[in-house]
Amino acid sequence: MANVCLYFELHQPYRLADVSVFDIGLDKEYFTRQEELNRKIFQKVAHKSYIPMLTLLLKLVRENKDFYFSFSATGVFLDQASEYAPKVVTLLQKLVKTGQVEVLSETYHHSLASLYSAKEFEYQVKEHQKLVKQLFDIKPTIFRNTELIYSNEIGQLVEDLGFQACLTEAVDRYLGGRKRTQVFVGKTKNKLPLLLKHAQLSDDIAFRFSEKAWASYPLTADTYMNWLGSYQNSEVINLFMDFETFGEHQWEDTGIFKFFEVFIKQSIKQKRNKFLTPFMVIQEQKTFKDSPEYDIPEPISWADVDRDLTAWVDNSLQRDSLDKMYQLEQKVLSQKNKDLILDWRKLQTSDHFYYMCTKWAADGDVHAYFSPYESPYEAYRRFSIVLADLKERMIET
Amino acid sequence: MAKQQNSVFMIGWEYPPHNSGGLGIACEGLTQALSQDDTKVHFSLPYESGHGVDHMNIHYCVHDNWRHKDCDCKDKSGKCVNVNCEPPFFAYSQEVYIPEQPELVSSNSGYSFDLNKLRKLSSNQLEKQVTEYAQIVGNVGLNNNDFEVIHAHDWMSFPAGQQLKKETGKPLITHVHSTEYDRSGLSSGNQYIEHIEYTGMHQADHVIAVSHYTKKLLEQRYGVDPKKISVVHNGISELAHPVDVGKHHFAPSRPVIAFMGRLTIQKGVSYFLDLAKEVLKEIPEALFVVAGNGDMYHELLLKTADGGLSASVVFSGFVRDEQRRKLLNRADVFVMPSISEPFGLVALEAAQRHTPVIVSKNAGVSEVLTNAISLDFWDIKKMASAIVDLVTDVDKSNTQVAGQLEDLSKQTWKSSAQKVKEIYKNAFLGYKK
Repeated sequence: MANVCLYFELHQPYRLADVSVFDIGLDKEYFTRQEELNRKIFQKVAHKSYIPMLTLLLKLVRENKDFYFSFSATGVFLDQASEYAPKVVTLLQKLVKTGQVEVLSETYHHSLASLYSAKEFEYQVKEHQKLVKQLFDIKPTIFRNTELIYSNEIGQLVEDLGFQACLTEAVDRYLGGRKRTQVFVGKTKNKLPLLLKHAQLSDDIAFRFSEKAWASYPLTADTYMNWLGSYQNSEVINLFMDFETFGEHQWEDTGIFKFFEVFIKQSIKQKRNKFLTPFMVIQEQKTFKDSPEYDIPEPISWADVDRDLTAWVDNSLQRDSLDKMYQLEQKVLSQKNKDLILDWRKLQTSDHFYYMCTKWAADGDVHAYFSPYESPYEAYRRFSIVLADLKERMIET
Repeated sequence: MAKQQNSVFMIGWEYPPHNSGGLGIACEGLTQALSQDDTKVHFSLPYESGHGVDHMNIHYCVHDNWRHKDCDCKDKSGKCVNVNCEPPFFAYSQEVYIPEQPELVSSNSGYSFDLNKLRKLSSNQLEKQVTEYAQIVGNVGLNNNDFEVIHAHDWMSFPAGQQLKKETGKPLITHVHSTEYDRSGLSSGNQYIEHIEYTGMHQADHVIAVSHYTKKLLEQRYGVDPKKISVVHNGISELAHPVDVGKHHFAPSRPVIAFMGRLTIQKGVSYFLDLAKEVLKEIPEALFVVAGNGDMYHELLLKTADGGLSASVVFSGFVRDEQRRKLLNRADVFVMPSISEPFGLVALEAAQRHTPVIVSKNAGVSEVLTNAISLDFWDIKKMASAIVDLVTDVDKSNTQVAGQLEDLSKQTWKSSAQKVKEIYKNAFLGYKK
C-alpha cells in the first residue's frame, strides 16, 4: 500500500489596471479599477473549478474517514474569494472542520519576498497565518513557499519561523539518483524536514491528463493506481499541484472530476493507497536523524522545465522590476499611508513577473495562457509606470 | 500667366488625421497657406477618406489592386467601396507594437500610412505600389489639367510626379521632407528608395529642401546641383488648443523630461536612455517619458531595464491629440537627440507649448529655433548637463522659452508659402523659356 500525500495550491492574483503615464501622481488606483476583470476571472474559475472540486472533496472526505489531503490558499486568493465567491470560503471552512484536511502556510501575497527580503517574507507569512487563524481557527505547522521556491537559505528562514517541515520540488540535479519518495532534511541548523514533489505522477494529472498525444491517454484511475502501486509501503508519493487542475486547466469534459473521484474511492475501498497530510507524514516518521540531506545552494521551484527561478527572475525586465520594487522597501514601510504599503505588497505577487517572462517554446505557451497581457513587454511597461507612480506618491512636496 | 489664379497639382502621401508624422502636418500647413494666398491646390492621396477639407481639391487616387477582394463593403458592381477596410500600404506590416489604446486614438479610424513600414516592403512589391500610384495620379492629373506646376512630397510621390510631368509637360518640383539616408540613421538604407529619391530629384525642375541641413545632404549624398535646391523651412500653425503649462497634468512632484517621436534608429532615442542614466545621477527623482512607437520598442524596453532605469524611464506608447498636448504642456525639458533630422516639427510644437528644447545639431529645426539648445546627439555629458541646468535653473528655462517663442513668431506657414510660390513662378517661367 503506497502512501499518498496530496497537496493543492489555491491562488489568484490581483491583476493590474492599465495605469497610463499620464496618470502618474494623480492618485489612480492600481487594482480596484481592474476589479471587474478580477471578479470575472475569479467567478469563472470558481464556477468551473473551485466550487465543483471543493464540493467533490467535501463529499469524499465525508464518505471516507481515511481520506486526507492538504491545501494552502494565498491571502490574495482568500481575500478575493471572500469578496467575489464567498461559497468557496464556506466550502474550505467545512473541509477544515472535518479534521481530515490540513492547511499549510505560505506568504500572504504569493510573493518572491523569500529571495529579496527576509523581513518582508516574515511579515507576509505572519499576516497569512493571522488570516488562516481568523478563517479556519488553526495554526499551520507546515510551510510551502510561493511556487515551491526553496534554497538552503530559505529553508533556514522557514525553520526560524518555527515550521516543522517544508514542501518543495524534487529536482534531479540535486537529488542525484536518490529516491524522491522519502523525507529529506534541509541543510539548516535543525535539519528542517522536506517533502519533495513527485513531478512525474503529479504532472500526469496536472498537465498530461487530457493530452491526446500522450501514450497513456486516456488515463484511467486503475492505470494510475497501478503506477502508484509500484512503490513500497515505506515510501511517500507527494502529489502537489495547482487546485485549478480540476476544472480549469483540465476542463470537466476531460473527465478529470470523475477520474479523481474513482481514484480516491477505489484506492480506499481496495486498500491500495493510504492518504496522509504533510503533518501526518512528519509525525509518522518521528525522527529525521538519518534522513538524507537535500542541499540546495541555488533556489529551485516547481515551475517550467528548468525548475528554477527563470519564470520570474530571468530577463532584465523582470530583474530590474523586482530590484526597483524591493529597493523601495524601507521608504515604503516608513510611510504612514497604509494604502500605499498595501499597494506595494500587492505589486509583489509573483504573477506580475511571470507575465514578463520572455522564455519561449513549451514554457512560453504556459506563460501566455496565464497572462492578461498580449506580450511580456506590455506587462513590464505597465509595471514600470505603476512603480513610477508609487515613487511619486512618496516624494515629499 | 494665362490664368489669374495660380494652380498646383500636389502629390501627397498622408494628411491629417491619417498622418504618421510630420509630412502630413507640413502638407496641411503649406496647402492652407497657399490657398489663402490665392493658389488653387489639387492634392492627391493614396487612400479614400473624408477629410472635411475645403481649402483644396483632394483627389483620392486608389488603384483597384488595393481594394479588398473579400469584404463586406462592396457596392452592387462588387467593387470594394471602402478602402479603409484595407489601407493600401499599411496592411503589409506584421509588426505589432504597443496596442493603441482607445483613448490614445482620435475619434477617426486611427490608422496611418506609415512610411517607415512601407520602407520595409520588398523592392518588387514596393515598385508595384509606387508604379500603380503613379498610373492613377497620371490619369487624375490629366483630367484636372488646369495647373501650372507639379509638386511632389517625398519619395513615394516622386514617380507619380515624373509620370505627370511626362504626360502634361509641366514643371516638376520635388519637396524633400526626409531622405532614406536620414531614416536609416546616416547609414545605408533601402537602395531602391534611394534610387527613387535620386531619380526624382535629378529629373525635377527644382527641389525644395526643408532645411539647409537637408540641402547639404542632397548635394553631398545625392549629387544634386545646389543651384537647383531652395530651402523652405516648415512653419508652425497657430494653436488650436491653448497653452496650459503646469505640473498639474501628471507627475506633479518631479521634473519631467520628454522624448516624442518614432522609436527608430533615426530619432536617436537610444541616446535619450543614456541621457536619462546620466541625469538621474544628479536628479534621482527625474521622470523620463518616451512617447511613440516603432521598431526599436522592445530593444529600448530591454535597454531601459538593463540600465536599471525602470520606474524612471516610462513608455507611454503612441500619443496623439490630448495626450500629445498634455505631454508637451507638462514637460520641463523636451529632447530631440536625432541622428539625422531634416526638420523636426515636433520641436517647434514643444517650443510653442513653452517647453525648453534641446535638439541635435543634425536637425534642420535648429536653423530656425535658434534659441533652443543645439548639441551633438552623441555628447551625453553636455546634453545631460544642459537638461540639469534647465530643470534646476528656472530663470534660464524661462529665458530660453521666451527666446524660442520669439523664433516661432517668424516661422509662419504664410512665409513658407510665399517662398514656395516664388519657386512655382520661377519653375513655370523657366520652363516656358
